[in-house]
Amino acid sequence: MSLPKISRVPASRLLSAVHDPRWPLRSAAPLAVPKRALTQSGYRRPGQPREDKPPWQRIKFDFSKGLEGITKHFKLLRQEFSDRLVGPEGKPIIEHMLEQNRVIWEFRGPDSLQEWTLSSDREIGGQSEIHLKLGKNNETCFLYGTLQSAPPRDGETRYSGYCSMRSKQPLVSFDRKKHHDWSSFNTLHLRIRGDGRPWMVNIAAESYFTHQKDDLYSYFLYTRGGPYWQDVKIPFSKFFLTHRGRIQDNQHPLWLDKVNTIGFTLGDKADGPFQLEIDFIGVCKDYAHTEDFAYEVYKRNPEV
Amino acid sequence: MNPYILTILLFAMGLGTTITFASSHWLLAWMGLEINTLAILPLMCQSHHPRAVEATIKYFLTQATAAAMLLFASITNAWITGQWNLEFMSYSLPTTLVTVALALKIGLAPLHAWMPEVLQGLDLTTGLILSTWQKLAPFCLLLQINPSNTSLLLILGLASTLVGGWGGLNQNQLRKILAYSSIAHLGWMILVLQFFPSLTLLTLLMYFVMTFSLFITFKVNNSTTINSLSMSWSKAPIISSMVPFILLSLGGLPPLSGFMPKWLILQELTKQSLAPLATLAALSALLSLYFYLRISYAMTLTMSPNILSNALPWRLPSNQHTLPLAITTSLTICLLPLTPAIITLLTL
Repeated sequence: MSLPKISRVPASRLLSAVHDPRWPLRSAAPLAVPKRALTQSGYRRPGQPREDKPPWQRIKFDFSKGLEGITKHFKLLRQEFSDRLVGPEGKPIIEHMLEQNRVIWEFRGPDSLQEWTLSSDREIGGQSEIHLKLGKNNETCFLYGTLQSAPPRDGETRYSGYCSMRSKQPLVSFDRKKHHDWSSFNTLHLRIRGDGRPWMVNIAAESYFTHQKDDLYSYFLYTRGGPYWQDVKIPFSKFFLTHRGRIQDNQHPLWLDKVNTIGFTLGDKADGPFQLEIDFIGVCKDYAHTEDFAYEVYKRNPEV
Repeated sequence: MNPYILTILLFAMGLGTTITFASSHWLLAWMGLEINTLAILPLMCQSHHPRAVEATIKYFLTQATAAAMLLFASITNAWITGQWNLEFMSYSLPTTLVTVALALKIGLAPLHAWMPEVLQGLDLTTGLILSTWQKLAPFCLLLQINPSNTSLLLILGLASTLVGGWGGLNQNQLRKILAYSSIAHLGWMILVLQFFPSLTLLTLLMYFVMTFSLFITFKVNNSTTINSLSMSWSKAPIISSMVPFILLSLGGLPPLSGFMPKWLILQELTKQSLAPLATLAALSALLSLYFYLRISYAMTLTMSPNILSNALPWRLPSNQHTLPLAITTSLTICLLPLTPAIITLLTL
């Protein structure tokens, strides 16, 4: 049995490749959602040929695209300047003072799907699939696919079978990182309709050291599976620290003033189709929730 | 933290500043600054949170760079003049380099970029120590060297007041606002350094008193964003009613104590025929005043749309020691009539 041939999609043409009919590997996604290119994940499957082009041959110089980019970034810069005149984060201060709920991601049109990135273990040679489209009446996002936990036959991977959807890092002009400031809030509010599978919600905060770039704060999301919508409120104090999927011993609470991305991961070892419909993702302030952090921070087995 | 370690670190911080105060040799002064820096680093990353560690590393890198520049400047001066004494810096290169190094140490614009991020990563108490105690030793050195480059100090001062004003305008986080307020006040201190050094000392001490009140107020409310200040009426109504005065004092409005240093500095600058500079500095104080007023608006002048459970809270007696806050708040509000006495005291 041979695995389907996976062609290599260069990262620089990620978005154009989606619309380009020449590239053979296309999933049957009804709406083009950028998937992480195989080279972008940084893992080259053993046995795959290396990209032998030198860097100067990989550059694709396009004058009109360059001009478009410059105008786009200067427009964003001008927008930033005018936002600063209004108030912090482009909103008047009275809004910041009175805010108790904020909807961050709402799936109401095709543009909303462009803010999300999908990935599955197909990048490492597995067979899971994940797709994203708009739900009925363009009111929700519909995440669906198939989970296959058969590990890739490369001699080194033992476990496999994961699919995930992650929001893109928000950027301001000239591709500088912008962070979500959720310090006025203390609860994550999701409105979802799943199929009974247990998902994990992962929040990535801004980190300074390179060894912290895979630090994620995770919590579980158990979906009901019924035809009814499910309102899930997860306090941020419940999120625990993981690094590359492993729970860390030294836990600390998530600081909400510099949040980069949020993601949903499925890896419950149950092969088969899955689906998750999300209406909106928001944050809210629960005055009754006074817990700072749900887990012990002192050392349980101190080395003395 | 282990109380012995805490004692040693606090003692070392005091020792470092005292060594710098007592030194007339550049090496000893540098050593005092280094002891000061190293002693505060464990205090800064006590909580082991990645953001605290990030703040500590950024602080260490900037302070170490500044200390290295200071050492280089003093060695250059010793090479040229053969003098290690603090007061005998007669050449412009070492003096300028020392000024720039000390500007980096205290966070004057344009060397201020580390200050908001570092303060944001720390808890309020450590932030207070950073904003107040850590400024003493560099100022002691700045007051003793004879600046040969008059325009450098004026540029640093004016840039700091403007950057401190503009930078703090769009912040929600209180610690960053306090950082920009610190930068602005340091700018005022540096403006008058070469003309009337006692005024620098006066501004520094007044700033300590005012910012101590503000930091401790925020600590009592346990709030780090403007949003969370809105609940302070139900937690501590007396403190909430005093805070606008503290903030207006920081903004430099009469008849509060914060007006004293600003008034005297503007008077001195005008006497030195620097009236346009004085005008610009006074206008930049308006920028700072805007965000101070914003904090007082959020905290005292508005009531947040309360849920019923918050309308009449249990006013349990607090365990926090509020006597220092009471003392410094009184000083922040009521010290202006004592201006002649204070000037006499400082010019003795």
